[in-house]
Amino acid sequence: MTARTLSKRGDLAEAASVVVIAAAFVVPWLSQNPMVYSLANQMLIAITAAFSVYIMLRMNLMTFAVPTFMAIGGYTVAILGLRHGVTDVLLLGLASFVVPALFALPLGALVLRLTGVYFVLVTFVLTEITQLLLFETPGWTGGSNGLVGMPAVTLFGLELADNRAVLQVTIGLALAGAIVTAAVTRTLRQHFAAIEENELLAQSLGLVVWHYKAFGFAIAAGVSGLAGFALVNMLLTAHPTSFSALSSVNYIAYAIIGGKSSMLGPVVGGALLIWAGDVFALRGEYSQFLFGFLIVVVVLVAREGVVGTIHRLGVRVFSPPSPSRSSTVASSPTLSVPNAMEPLQ
Amino acid sequence: MQGFVATCLIGISLGAQYALLALGFTLIFGILGVVNFAHGGFYVLGGYLAYSAVTYLGMPYALAVICAALGTTLLGFLFERFVLDRVIDDHLATLMLTLGLYLMMSSGILVVFGPQSPAFAFPLTGVIHGHGFFVPIENLVVLGVCIVGILSIYGLIYYTDFGRALRALADDRAVATAQGLRPAILFPAAFALATGLAGLTGALVTPILSLAPHIGDPVLATSFLIVILGGLGSVGGATVAAFIVGMAEAFSAVYLGGSKGALALFVLVLVMLVVKPSGLFGHRVRGA
Amino acid sequence: MSTTRRNLLLSGIAVGAALASSNVSVMAAGQELTLGVVGVLSGPAAQWGLALRGAVELVAAEANRDGLIKVDGAPCKVNVVAIDSKYTAEGAAAAANTLAGQGVKFIIGPIGSPELTGVKPIAKRNSMLVMGNGYAKDALSPQLPLVFHMGPGPSGWAEPIIKIAKQKFGMKSVVLVAPNDQGGTDIASVDADAYKRTGITASEEYYQRGTTNFAPIVTRIMNAKPDAVDLASSPPGDAGIIVKQLRQAGFEGPIGRLGGPGYTEISRVAGGDEVLKDFYWYEPVLIDEKVQLIADEYKKLLGAERPENNLFFQWVSAARMVTKAIAKAGTISDTAKVAEALRSLPVEDPNIGPGHWIGQDFFGINQELSFPFGVGLVEKGKLQPTIRVEAAGGK
Repeated sequence: MTARTLSKRGDLAEAASVVVIAAAFVVPWLSQNPMVYSLANQMLIAITAAFSVYIMLRMNLMTFAVPTFMAIGGYTVAILGLRHGVTDVLLLGLASFVVPALFALPLGALVLRLTGVYFVLVTFVLTEITQLLLFETPGWTGGSNGLVGMPAVTLFGLELADNRAVLQVTIGLALAGAIVTAAVTRTLRQHFAAIEENELLAQSLGLVVWHYKAFGFAIAAGVSGLAGFALVNMLLTAHPTSFSALSSVNYIAYAIIGGKSSMLGPVVGGALLIWAGDVFALRGEYSQFLFGFLIVVVVLVAREGVVGTIHRLGVRVFSPPSPSRSSTVASSPTLSVPNAMEPLQ
Repeated sequence: MQGFVATCLIGISLGAQYALLALGFTLIFGILGVVNFAHGGFYVLGGYLAYSAVTYLGMPYALAVICAALGTTLLGFLFERFVLDRVIDDHLATLMLTLGLYLMMSSGILVVFGPQSPAFAFPLTGVIHGHGFFVPIENLVVLGVCIVGILSIYGLIYYTDFGRALRALADDRAVATAQGLRPAILFPAAFALATGLAGLTGALVTPILSLAPHIGDPVLATSFLIVILGGLGSVGGATVAAFIVGMAEAFSAVYLGGSKGALALFVLVLVMLVVKPSGLFGHRVRGA
Repeated sequence: MSTTRRNLLLSGIAVGAALASSNVSVMAAGQELTLGVVGVLSGPAAQWGLALRGAVELVAAEANRDGLIKVDGAPCKVNVVAIDSKYTAEGAAAAANTLAGQGVKFIIGPIGSPELTGVKPIAKRNSMLVMGNGYAKDALSPQLPLVFHMGPGPSGWAEPIIKIAKQKFGMKSVVLVAPNDQGGTDIASVDADAYKRTGITASEEYYQRGTTNFAPIVTRIMNAKPDAVDLASSPPGDAGIIVKQLRQAGFEGPIGRLGGPGYTEISRVAGGDEVLKDFYWYEPVLIDEKVQLIADEYKKLLGAERPENNLFFQWVSAARMVTKAIAKAGTISDTAKVAEALRSLPVEDPNIGPGHWIGQDFFGINQELSFPFGVGLVEKGKLQPTIRVEAAGGK
């Protein structure tokens, strides 16, 4: 009963996320304002990257490796465009998903044996290595200067170069990311939940945990790659500063501040924090202070993230306590707190 | 061969600084289960507190170092007791809180003290030159204090009731609490001890290097590396790993250059993780 | 079911609020001139951005005091909006978009090459005029006629400085040290070429950005036994430690810093001029009594000390050129016309002196401001008067 209501709620959140992102297609028709475009671009890229974090959180793994896979996706697109003249957006989109996912498989073999905080730390090291590798391979990646000047992407021969088209490409990529995320977390909900709850138990009950984790990791990497493509396409440059190790912290913040228990979490968290970041940037040297303060306040006030808390309050205020409802409410927060960082001793 | 001696000396002095930092980081993790993103922030704050005490209050440097350590200890205690403790069992929430604190600390320091490095010099100068190597006296003093610090931590953890209580909490919080240990006091105390160590290191090291609002970032990254290598929560592991990282950094940077050296160091850690995921001294990872 | 709809609604409201707020700000532009500042105001490079912002605020205050900008004869108030670009391409792009959304047509800044890379496409799409910095080899191009450069990169000033230093110290080999990112490589590699052209063997050494203890790098440099070391664009804090540790290691040769201002901070961190011993650096603006007046002016108009970083003065001269061009063009919206006026104005600053436009040879477009600059010198632990070098010209 509880599991069923839970999964029903999950389905709805996933559908809603996809719908919200698809609804972004109206933005280019409503407005011409470059600031709105910029904000929408940034939000969608942030949300897509945060989906990657969200997928990994399903398996009780917190990843810092999002910038690594964003870089692989972004540079793949840049290299294809610059060196091989590939401009078709569908082809590039596919490449930006598949290449990071393929990279993720051998990497996963190395790092997925780790759990808890070790996984967190090793993915952090991965992002540091990414930066150094970008610098040390100037022949491929342009080194510290990055890659600039790739041709505009095209759709069936149509050039997508102006503000509006760039945003539409971003929306398309974010939508693809959302659909993939929704499909995977929905299909594998039970498996992921079993892994999250108790990996050893799941294994002993016959679940080939390794398969699902590797699959999830590859998908998360692919979704990051889509975000990397969108970012590179927006900036017209693939630059190492876009994939810095510390930026990974932002993507995690989007997922957690928004609410890690629902796919709407990354959507709300990404939109909220990007918007706040842009507003705070006007405050110059105070911007980071305000951003930090916002994070502290949200964590203290809304323990389950914005979405989780609104849901809890909403249910409490708007519905009479019926048995099935209250069981959903009671069980969701406890079930959804991933014990991502179990202390070791 | 001469270069070898010089490089070893550099490695040892790097290792000693890293050990003090990593001890605090690993303590907080081992006992509270918190990955403290603000660790670098406390290092920077320690430096600025000591600098302020010397410059504005005219304190002698040694006293300023003690004040800085006490100041960061106090801040750590208050932060744990009144903020972190409210969400102490939710590891993602604690991570976010320490991250938020770090952003606030580093930009707060930027606003108060300005972006540029202030004049903050170690009171002793002079260099001992040997055969093909050299040791600045200030580095020797810092090395000495670091070693005393490390030994004191060992003494505290293994030979006092406070240390035994902390270890018991780290081992099994439920059992320890049932036996009458009080996390309400011990958690903030442990957190404060660790932030105090970071502040102490900052106060000691920044005058021989430099002091600026942003120097906490690499501290965090290095602490990460060391605890991965040493095994999280392991005091002995962190100490040994700190010296390994110090040595590896020194040798790779001298013989490969700064950028390739850093790459070599990271790859070393990655290989280590693959060979022995729980680190040098870590226990087996509990099933998540 | 209902909760999900509520969540959906909430997301909608968030996006809607963003749309609404930005529309309002477009309306507010009116008959005021807003100078947009895109610069790094947080993190390790914050001092560059704070110097930039201070400079533009000063120039705006001057323009308001003098009633410099008039549109159709009516005086026009000058405002400054500064946005933190976080020293990344996307931060700068977001900042430029925000400014574009507010109807801002003129951007002073950004400072670093990655930031300029992020700003340029947005400026082009919104026909904004950019007076920026960034030493990348593709900073300017004929395809971007609205992008100007506030001062030449090392290609413009490295060689004259090296010649002076060679005369003084007679070095035959040099090791250049810089961080391993675009801020380091763009400058160190051009410096290295300039050393080689002057007949000095040069090698480059890059360290990881964020390194705090340079003892290993210093040992490596000592092993190479160069006559001189050049710190290129290493941040002043880093440069100070490197100098100190080099001297502790017994390095006796001259140390240069052909990357940007920061002598005061380097000297402070290293432990004084005695530690610097023989030191030479690029000073973007020769700070004499006349230039010092800018600092007094800042105090008078804005009631605070000027930002310490000496790039401040260079930004003042660049921002003044922009306001002068706007005044001459008599428009606060037609950036092509302002750019035209800017190109035709004689390059002249009341405090800094005459200069000219350069860049044709290096970038293919003559849109780089070149003013007289200085070579700073410390000899045998004593600060020497800065040597004036006339504006790099011709090209």
